[in-house]
Amino acid sequence: MADKRPPMGPRTNSAWPSPAALILTTVVVIGVFAFPWLNPGYRALSFAVTTGVTAIVLYGMAIPFGQAGIMSLGYAGLMGFGAYTAAILSRDFGLNMWEAMPFSALVAALCAGLFGLPSLRISGHHFAITTYVMCELLRIALINGGKFTGAASGLDLPPIGTVLGVKLDKLSNAYMLVAGFMFISMLAAYCVANSRYGRTLRSVRENEQLSRSIGVNTNMYKVGAFMLSGLFAGVGGDLQAYNFRHISPDLYGGATSLYFALMVMLGGPRTAFGPLAGAIIVTFLPEFMRIDPVDSRIAYGLALIAVVMLIPGGVIAAVGRGYQWVMRTLRGPHAGSADPHSAQV
Amino acid sequence: MVTFLQELVNSLSVASVIILMGIGVTLIFGLTGIINFAHGEFLMLGAIGVWVLMGYGLGYIPAVLIAVAVVGLIGFLLERGLFQFTLTRPNNGFMASLGLSIVLQHVVIRIWNSFSKSIPEPLPGVWQIGEITFIKMRVVVVLVTALVVAVTFLTISRSRYGLALRASLADRQTAALMGIPIRRYITVVFTYGSAIAGLGGALTIALFPVTPFVGSEMIMLGFAVALIAGLGNVPGVVGAGLILGLVTGFSGAYGTPEWTNAYTFGLMIVILIFRPQGLFGGTMGPAIE
Repeated sequence: MADKRPPMGPRTNSAWPSPAALILTTVVVIGVFAFPWLNPGYRALSFAVTTGVTAIVLYGMAIPFGQAGIMSLGYAGLMGFGAYTAAILSRDFGLNMWEAMPFSALVAALCAGLFGLPSLRISGHHFAITTYVMCELLRIALINGGKFTGAASGLDLPPIGTVLGVKLDKLSNAYMLVAGFMFISMLAAYCVANSRYGRTLRSVRENEQLSRSIGVNTNMYKVGAFMLSGLFAGVGGDLQAYNFRHISPDLYGGATSLYFALMVMLGGPRTAFGPLAGAIIVTFLPEFMRIDPVDSRIAYGLALIAVVMLIPGGVIAAVGRGYQWVMRTLRGPHAGSADPHSAQV
Repeated sequence: MVTFLQELVNSLSVASVIILMGIGVTLIFGLTGIINFAHGEFLMLGAIGVWVLMGYGLGYIPAVLIAVAVVGLIGFLLERGLFQFTLTRPNNGFMASLGLSIVLQHVVIRIWNSFSKSIPEPLPGVWQIGEITFIKMRVVVVLVTALVVAVTFLTISRSRYGLALRASLADRQTAALMGIPIRRYITVVFTYGSAIAGLGGALTIALFPVTPFVGSEMIMLGFAVALIAGLGNVPGVVGAGLILGLVTGFSGAYGTPEWTNAYTFGLMIVILIFRPQGLFGGTMGPAIE
């Protein structure tokens, strides 16, 4: 298979995607923004909002997991930091969603750095288990936080309010807002992956010793990747808190983190559309199709096992490979390997 | 003082279940390199198995024996059907086991429901020694655990099979050249660890009501004792399990039960950071390739 390809030329490192990828992106953007006009109904639209918020966090998670190759199971916790920051700032200082957002992002990023610190000493599965445990620690702390965190029943938030004459309390407008943030985070994750920084992270993933030997401060890069991903989680948490208008500790436990990991792996952490696809497949589809939640979880567990064993890059990467194979077959054997950037970030 | 001794006695049975969980994790994770997040679900299956069988009118002891055998068989099938393909890429095994954990949990919820399940006390009554009360069933749980620990420890440290196992951990290639059937050892260890988890579950349901979610709680305690002790270190698991059991018992007795798991998890993180090889020293898992 690989030997039929022409020899690789010098790597261009161009961040510009191929025309096919641009067309696909346009279709997805239009499709997502056109969704409310299809009259999906209140229920589907509110699940779509949840899906979008989840996807924002997943794009953050894809940076350390996809690029640096470090799996963390702490993202529900980081999202929780963002959400609780927003709720507490709103309660104690009367800040609204926009004013709280930078604080949410900052708090989550700092905590992400803190969650990531053990990765300098602990590697691989030990680290994944450690972050899961940190997430559980946060949940226990929130439950026992008394009045400050609202204990097990959680906290309430005011409505988002009106910005520039747009009533964001209306669900379809809130959907547009979340969709906008979702695409911003997709773009941001794409830019990070295709930057010098992203390349260095990949060098840490492929061979940490080697990249350290040529003078890369891998510790800084690792913690940096976590903090960057924490920004996404914080923004996601802020948006989630204001869209749900009620948050409780159980939203941010280890179990939620597991589902986040499931979604990222299912969609594919190294592809531009992977996290979105994962969020749609796991969060949106079963509710939209009204599948029994227990059945759908069994199905997703099985799907995850199948993806891990058969197509390790995730669903979107497999689709990308399929597309490239079709294009190669159509163009004949020597017409060139389609742009490697089209699917694989 | 009496309260203190009483709590000590009560903690031992909690510690026993944690130790049974930890032994499975430490053997499977430490000796075969498979990180099975679904290990806690084996405990849950053992407990639910006993509940189902007793529902058909079986006695407690035959129900335990059948449930342990069934969980062992499930472990065997999963190792042959799934985990053996992930031996060289433990990351994939870990991710697949996350999916497996979700599947097993929800299959049980699907067939029976998610409510907590309990069985009539198999051995009611207490022994009274001085002012301290020994609940009979708890004593049995501690004794069974002690037996399992002794058998496991002696097999690994004294028998030729244990020697071969430790050799294959140190260097798979050389051990294979010496004629040790490594694949078969991995299967046996995985099956044994699964069955021990099943036994833990079968004993748990004799002490407390059990929900289908008990597995995901117990697996974290299992990882905690195994990592605190140092992977592959069976006596270490006993030490760590006793520490955690006592922490659980005493934080319950002296005021802050809602923070119990926080102490456990905090201890685990601190120990992993400052002593990655564990408190009592262990392997860091087998070297892959």
